[in-house]
Amino acid sequence: MTASGAGPAHTFRWDLDKTYLRTDFDSLRGLVRAALEKPHEKRAVPGAPALIRALREAGGGAHRIAIISGSPEQMRAVLEAKLQLDGVVFDEFVLKPNLKNLLRARFRAVRAQVPYKLPALLRSRAAVSAPGETLFGDDAESDALIYCLYADILADRVSRGQLLDVLRAAEAYDDEIERVLALRDDVGKGEAVRRVIIHLDKRSPTARFDRFGPRLCPVYNYFQAALVLYADGQLKARDLLTVAREMLASRDYTVASLANSLQDLLLRGRLAREVAVRLGGETASAGAEFSDLPPHAEVVAAFTKRVQALGDFRVAAVPAGPDALDYAALVKSEGMR
Amino acid sequence: MGGDRAPEEIVKGAALASLQRDDVEIILCGDTAAIGKVLSDTRHDAERLQIHHASQAIRMDDRAPEALAARPDASITVAVRLVAQGEADALVTAGNTGAAVLLAERLWKPLAGVQHPALAAVYPTEIRRGAKDDPFALILDVGAGADATPEELVVFGLMGAAWAARISRNPRPRVALLSSGAEIGRGPRDVAAAHDLFLSHTGLNFIGAIEAIDIQRGIADVVVCSGYVGNLFMKMLDAIPETILGLARYASKEKLLWRAVLGLIQSGVTRIKQLTDWQEYGGAPLLGYDHVCVKAHRRSGARAIANAIKVCAVAAPPGLLRDMHGKIAEFRTKRSQLAS
Repeated sequence: MTASGAGPAHTFRWDLDKTYLRTDFDSLRGLVRAALEKPHEKRAVPGAPALIRALREAGGGAHRIAIISGSPEQMRAVLEAKLQLDGVVFDEFVLKPNLKNLLRARFRAVRAQVPYKLPALLRSRAAVSAPGETLFGDDAESDALIYCLYADILADRVSRGQLLDVLRAAEAYDDEIERVLALRDDVGKGEAVRRVIIHLDKRSPTARFDRFGPRLCPVYNYFQAALVLYADGQLKARDLLTVAREMLASRDYTVASLANSLQDLLLRGRLAREVAVRLGGETASAGAEFSDLPPHAEVVAAFTKRVQALGDFRVAAVPAGPDALDYAALVKSEGMR
Repeated sequence: MGGDRAPEEIVKGAALASLQRDDVEIILCGDTAAIGKVLSDTRHDAERLQIHHASQAIRMDDRAPEALAARPDASITVAVRLVAQGEADALVTAGNTGAAVLLAERLWKPLAGVQHPALAAVYPTEIRRGAKDDPFALILDVGAGADATPEELVVFGLMGAAWAARISRNPRPRVALLSSGAEIGRGPRDVAAAHDLFLSHTGLNFIGAIEAIDIQRGIADVVVCSGYVGNLFMKMLDAIPETILGLARYASKEKLLWRAVLGLIQSGVTRIKQLTDWQEYGGAPLLGYDHVCVKAHRRSGARAIANAIKVCAVAAPPGLLRDMHGKIAEFRTKRSQLAS
């Protein structure tokens, strides 16, 4: 529910590890460190906190932030404290009941993503629904598949039988399957998911995501995400600057790397040149509030150079993707469980 | 973007380097659409890569002067110009060598005290060198010019030694002159004069004159010669593997025993190939300008290109060119003092 008591206008759903937080799950050392870190030791992906704050503020109370993470329930206090430190306010925070799964000897469920995240998304939607949704995930596991499956279920493009095949391929337990099928039937249908943003934590080839269609946009960083959401009308130029400011302050980014990020979106046809031009004009009036950023003229010059460097190149539209994705086959062939 | 395997392998090499090093930003010059296609299928870090469109290209077999005149928007021209304008610090190319050398001459400034640049090449040797255990000796000039005066040969030696000190982390590289033998009197007059200058005017670790066969033995880390000699030498070396392979094929057809022997030594040959794989080195420098240029082999794959980019990352900071400039100035000063 929103502050005004009316339903939310838009829900932004965030994954946590590798999407919001910099987490190393690829090594045992990284796994142990992630479990033992104190809130102030955890590092957010630069720009992610600023983006969530901007998205929430942009709605004037009508934007809902829902976090669904694969981290265990036992980490709730630490994770909530970290979000609080970052000034991130959320409306919902779902964590995985891994201890419960272990105690019930449901070992498949400890690792499985589809049988955990999909019902969590559907349950959240059933409880509070907004006309629009934007989903944030990463390329480490199966976020792209789960989010698109969720979007297609909401749009009534996935039959009961198809969903059953997906869940079986994902090795879901029988009771989980029943629960998901029931949620599928009950959830309100509509084209709610407007955008899926996948953070390329592993730097996966972007073409890998073409099959999910233009709604899903892989991004290398949250400046790119902010640019896409600016083009979508979700953010204003000022919001984009707050994201850029946080990224530059992290010292992981420079004006050049942000300019390269802009060029990459243009190259991939994820941003129109006209939008980049419009942005240049709108940021000029941002004024003293952003006096800690490099001079506007310098930034615009760097960005303009990147746009011009592409020459007359005009991208073909992002492939529309197939009418209906065979999710079960994807789960089977790529082990996206 | 040139080379036999462009654009795919060049773009993939840049993509690889973008993931391996966080201290470089790479500008890919070439056809935007072609680059974009390869990048979309390749893991890379888009934050460290930028594209600069070039609508034309110089082919490997083009004659450089005519081709450059006919195609002003060739990718090599765009790349050399970007370096000249300070948009980039170094150039990597696997394309037409003549075009790269000619453009550097036209658009870059020579280092003070350098009359002619030198194109270097690397050659695998028996003995390794430096902190990096580098299996490659540097030979220069291999074709940027033809003749070289004694002073120019010394300058080549100074530049080659500075490069080897930085890239191979070999603080006192052994420098030698390529001649017809250790007995300097038997060589050309210019080589003999250069020999004297090396001894009297430089503080280099100069080991005298060597024969061509000594290069492969690795007794010198930097081998100096005129462009004409170096070019002949490298072309002959290039032909050796082909000749050996041809003979081996012939032999294996003739006798079953020979075929068996060739099979037995296969793993050893593969190991030697790995140890001396030029793709590890990435490329060799064009020296004598106020910018760094690494000329990668025309058959370079992604790994060679990524390594060439790494070499540039080490060579591009101003220290190396400053060292070269300082040593050359020292030599020129000493030369003029003694002459007067």
